[in-house]
Amino acid sequence: MSEPASSPPIAATRRGARPPRWLQLALAGLAGRILLAVLLSMLCAAALIALSGHDPLAAFAAMAVGAVGSAHQIGAALNRTTPYLLAGSGVAMCFRAGIINIGAEGQIAVGGIGAAATALAWPGGSPTLAVIAALLGGAVAGAAWAAAATAIHLGRRVHEVLATLLLNFVALLLVQQVLAGPLGQFGAGFLQSPLLPRSAWLTRLEGFDAHAGFLIAVVAAAGLSFALWRTRFGFALRVAGSSRPATAYAGFSLPRLTWGVMLLSGALAGLAGGIEVLGVHHRLIEGFSLGFGFKAVTVALLGALEPLAVAPASLFVGLLEAGSLSMQRQIGVPSALVSVIEGLTMFFVLVATARRP
Amino acid sequence: MIEFVAAAIRIATPLLFAALGGILSERAGVFAVGLEGMMLAGAFAATLGAWASGGAGAGVLMALLGGAAIGLAVAVVAVRYRADNMVTGLTANILALGLTSYLLRVAGGGRPIAIHLAPLAAWPVPGLADIPVIGPLLFSLPPLTYLAVFGCLALTLFLGRTQAGLTLRATGENPEAVFASGGDPLRVRMLAVAACGAIAGLGGAVLSLQQVGTFTDGMTGGRGYLALASLIVGRWTPWGAAAACLVFGAAEAFELRLQSFGVPVSSYIVQMAPYLIALAVLAGLGRSSSLPAAIGRPLQR
Repeated sequence: MSEPASSPPIAATRRGARPPRWLQLALAGLAGRILLAVLLSMLCAAALIALSGHDPLAAFAAMAVGAVGSAHQIGAALNRTTPYLLAGSGVAMCFRAGIINIGAEGQIAVGGIGAAATALAWPGGSPTLAVIAALLGGAVAGAAWAAAATAIHLGRRVHEVLATLLLNFVALLLVQQVLAGPLGQFGAGFLQSPLLPRSAWLTRLEGFDAHAGFLIAVVAAAGLSFALWRTRFGFALRVAGSSRPATAYAGFSLPRLTWGVMLLSGALAGLAGGIEVLGVHHRLIEGFSLGFGFKAVTVALLGALEPLAVAPASLFVGLLEAGSLSMQRQIGVPSALVSVIEGLTMFFVLVATARRP
Repeated sequence: MIEFVAAAIRIATPLLFAALGGILSERAGVFAVGLEGMMLAGAFAATLGAWASGGAGAGVLMALLGGAAIGLAVAVVAVRYRADNMVTGLTANILALGLTSYLLRVAGGGRPIAIHLAPLAAWPVPGLADIPVIGPLLFSLPPLTYLAVFGCLALTLFLGRTQAGLTLRATGENPEAVFASGGDPLRVRMLAVAACGAIAGLGGAVLSLQQVGTFTDGMTGGRGYLALASLIVGRWTPWGAAAACLVFGAAEAFELRLQSFGVPVSSYIVQMAPYLIALAVLAGLGRSSSLPAAIGRPLQR
């Protein structure tokens, strides 16, 4: 608690734009700290497993087998990873610019609506076109939802966190509303849309149960990483995250930057929602995206806001979740433990990456 | 009509506790997104406490402790380590959800433990409870509902009329001034967020002890976020938040009634209303008067 009183109140001035070698060293240190945080949360999880009267090692082993024991299970884990990677790398771009967008939850949900509505309305014909149209529908819907938050944030000077957070709940209820109305399947017993036409389903990868969405997510993350480090837009983002006065001084327009990065991350989140609908469920289901937005933030921070590093971070979360059910089945450790691990990991990562004076 | 108002009050009570806690936290400059987790931890601890001891008093005490534990975790990460308030709050919510579900199953040896408590009975105020209409509505309420009204009064007096309340508000508006005048804004924020947790935990106890009589996974069901919306709509004042909670409670009660009469009203649209109203209030305010000026801004000594 003994920090010098003379330093400025917001110690965010030394992040972002740096010479490459410097950055690599800093990232190495950061990676070490984040790994330590993950390790610490796994230790806490082990203690909790022991508390329930089970052997932590056996439980972790069952979890690992459940996650990667067969091609089928690896595929399931990759499917879990996909929305986190897509939405998480978008969130990482926003956080880089110092824009705390926690609206991924709502943008994913609305993206699911957009994709399902497009797929149901598409006249048929070429499967490739149908899939592309439906995914575009999801991305556009997600971007539109992000645009609403941005318009409220910039137009009425509402804190972006409040605008994105409050719109999340509206989006989740909107899914239920359209499923109770225009998109719903009559007499299904619960809120879901009719099964989408087969032509709009995402193709599955040979041998795995994974859908092609995972490849889209990896390509998107690589593209974002390139944009972040090799383009003017990415540079502007990093400057904005480091210092708002410097952004203006360098001639970048903060509102335009905000619009750009919010629309980008909204489109990615919407795409994630669309992929979930077209690839996993083949229909829109109530609550299909519950908690995805939070996990997008989790993996963004776990990946140190570097889109390429978000990939292993989301894989970690995806594997945890895919393995948790078999842990519960075989050892009897409640699968709710996964939420505990995710929460603890986040707390430790937040502390480990704390802004230092 | 009496039933309708009674339902509105019943729905509003847990929200009001959480909103009061949130006001403490936000007026001190820390966004209260963790209300949901604090409520959930409170509801869980209250159920276990009342079940283990056989008394509701112990349950209420445990609710305070359970909520405060989550509050303290948020305080350490968001205030001491200056993490983003929103992200920390969301993390607290997911952690509380996981931890309560997990421990509920550990306590039951693999399955959720089945606890059934008698919901707290109403305490009629002698004399006043016999007044027609007003009596059953306002003077024959369960104990924690009286406490919520008392909490509103106490918080108003605390914020407006005490030195500590002034320091807390100053910490939310201009922490440097607090520091310059010899106060410790970090300490104020830590205490405010921990207290926020304890009070929001009481809101959870209202659900589990007073209304349902047991704990189920995620039983707060987004009420923490609704409380956040109501404290925004109430412009960060206790009575304003109470009014907003009552309006939201009335909307929900109204919707339930309409549905039971077969009137085709979409419950989802009605449920959206609190969040849309909160957005409208924020948009109307701009960054002007009521939102504490230094909210969400990390501090260091």
